[in-house]
Amino acid sequence: MILLSAILLGLPVGLVAARAQQRAYQPPTLAHIWLIFVAVLPQLAILYLPEVRRQTSDEMTGILLTVSNALLVTFAWLNRKQSGLSLMLVGAALNFTVMAANRGFMPISPQTAGRLVPQSILQDIATGTRFGLKDILLQPEHTRFEWLADRFLPPVWLPYQFAFSLGDVFLALGVFWLFAFPHFERRKPL
Amino acid sequence: MNKHFNQIQVAVSKINRQHIQLFFLVLSLSLFVLGAGAPDDGGNIGR
Repeated sequence: MILLSAILLGLPVGLVAARAQQRAYQPPTLAHIWLIFVAVLPQLAILYLPEVRRQTSDEMTGILLTVSNALLVTFAWLNRKQSGLSLMLVGAALNFTVMAANRGFMPISPQTAGRLVPQSILQDIATGTRFGLKDILLQPEHTRFEWLADRFLPPVWLPYQFAFSLGDVFLALGVFWLFAFPHFERRKPL
Repeated sequence: MNKHFNQIQVAVSKINRQHIQLFFLVLSLSLFVLGAGAPDDGGNIGR
């Protein structure tokens, strides 16, 4: 949800910027878009379709998430010269690294998870088991690449609470930049 | 009735190739961030 809002923010910024310069908004052009669909559709099925989710073991889900993430990193790599995609590549690669190193799932500590669900529910979830859609509940000392895990939280006063990773931050910045400044070019050295 | 039909026709004629391209791009990149991102709000816990 938070990542989709980066698109919803970036697009109007790009449209306003184009209008201010009295030109039509030129959407970014990306290659190999089919890779996204190949990567994400199986992932959506095992995460969001209750029947498929029930029938897929956690081990298989972890493998599918790893393969899916690897394909998404490949897509970002193939388009890395496009404005914003280099940031998205970093984000996707960071999330891929931490998830692949932790059985295919994004680690979250019980302390962080305690801000998202009531303690009464959390105490029934054993560490090492799945939490939410892509996460796995793990103690920080048992987490590989803990600094890349879902360990960041918004301020307490924000009504919508969620945990996010460093990779998610890069993804949000990258997709915002991609839509807001689709044809931004870095100055080449003279 | 005819007026409504004409209004719809005018609206549809304004949808050009670029609009479809943009819609497809928003859809694709939404899928990308959903797939590569992993924020969690604990939304489906206990549901």
